Amino acid sequence: MRTSFALLAAALWTLPALQAHHSFAAEFDTAKPVKMTGVVTKVEWQNPHIWFYVDVKGSDGAVTNWGFSGGAPGQLMRRGITKKVIQEGMTITVEGFRSKDGSNNANGARVTFPDGRSVFTAGAEDRAPGDGKDK
Amino acid sequence: MKTVSVLFAILACTSLAQTKGTAVPRTAEGKPNFSGTYEWPKALSGEQCRCSATIFDRKLFAPLKPGGEPFYEPRNGDPRHDEPRDFCMPAGFPSGMLSANAMQFFQTKDYLIIVHEFQRMTRIIPLDGRKHREDIEPSFYGDPVGHWEGDTLVIETTNFKRWGLDDYFYTNPNEYRMHSDALKTIERISWKDRKTLSYNLTIDDPKTFTAAWSQPFEIAAKPEWEGAGLYEYVCEENNRCPGGKCQGK
Repeated sequence: MRTSFALLAAALWTLPALQAHHSFAAEFDTAKPVKMTGVVTKVEWQNPHIWFYVDVKGSDGAVTNWGFSGGAPGQLMRRGITKKVIQEGMTITVEGFRSKDGSNNANGARVTFPDGRSVFTAGAEDRAPGDGKDK
Repeated sequence: MKTVSVLFAILACTSLAQTKGTAVPRTAEGKPNFSGTYEWPKALSGEQCRCSATIFDRKLFAPLKPGGEPFYEPRNGDPRHDEPRDFCMPAGFPSGMLSANAMQFFQTKDYLIIVHEFQRMTRIIPLDGRKHREDIEPSFYGDPVGHWEGDTLVIETTNFKRWGLDDYFYTNPNEYRMHSDALKTIERISWKDRKTLSYNLTIDDPKTFTAAWSQPFEIAAKPEWEGAGLYEYVCEENNRCPGGKCQGK
């Protein structure tokens, strides 16, 4: 099962990026990569992009709720990523780029689970840190 | 011997039926039937968009005419100008048609209706011989009418407002391609085989180019997507960071 999921994740990772409704550049700053681990508090499986929210504990122990934007629900579901993939209460690590306005929001390009499984949850023109497109 | 003859007759009929079957699915009126679920049009040549939506191949463009320079409109840093879709403005045609989402065709004797999952774009194309409507406001998707030329459906669309031609700006953020309000498009749709539509799109924009130019595309049938169908797409539902300014949580 784990192998199958890993293969699925690898396949998803290598798929061409899918277009969403906006330009990534309009909303997110590639000069500000983020990588955070926390507990999912809410998932909005809605258009034009899914959003999921994660409580992240800082080094001072304070908890901040971050919002992460993914692809469009239809595109993700046709790629085999249903809303069951990310659920409230899960602990996940999210990589992406912070929003341009400096708020606690980012694109959620890559989600990694505690067992190492990883899925590419972003849409189209979106990028992930280290994917070679973040320049 | 009689049995062998009957067998040959059956095989001959089967072969004939298969030949006809591979030709084109047809409506009760004998026209090619395009009803079904499809991928978006894929280019047969040219540059790939960073966003994976299909974009036009600049090698096929006719030269710009004097006065056609506004085709390449600089971005000015204002997201409402540079990224209208980030505010849920429509993609328009042909850009929306080339967007990387599923689409579904519904065909009757008098209409072809194309529903694209992206922004739930809906094009209602009369096939009953009517002319273009007159004295209506220019629009994002234009005013289409269709007619048959043999087994090819020809759709002519006019009455556009000036808007983005395609999604090239995802590839080069400094280069917008804007068609003019004189744009006329001609789509030619036919079955290439039972799994593929040939889709030829002509861009006739006399304010921009010295001549009309065309690009061939193919559209893959996706009967395996019929079950799930198209998903809803209401951009306004949760567009949280329009123009890079995030709202609420």
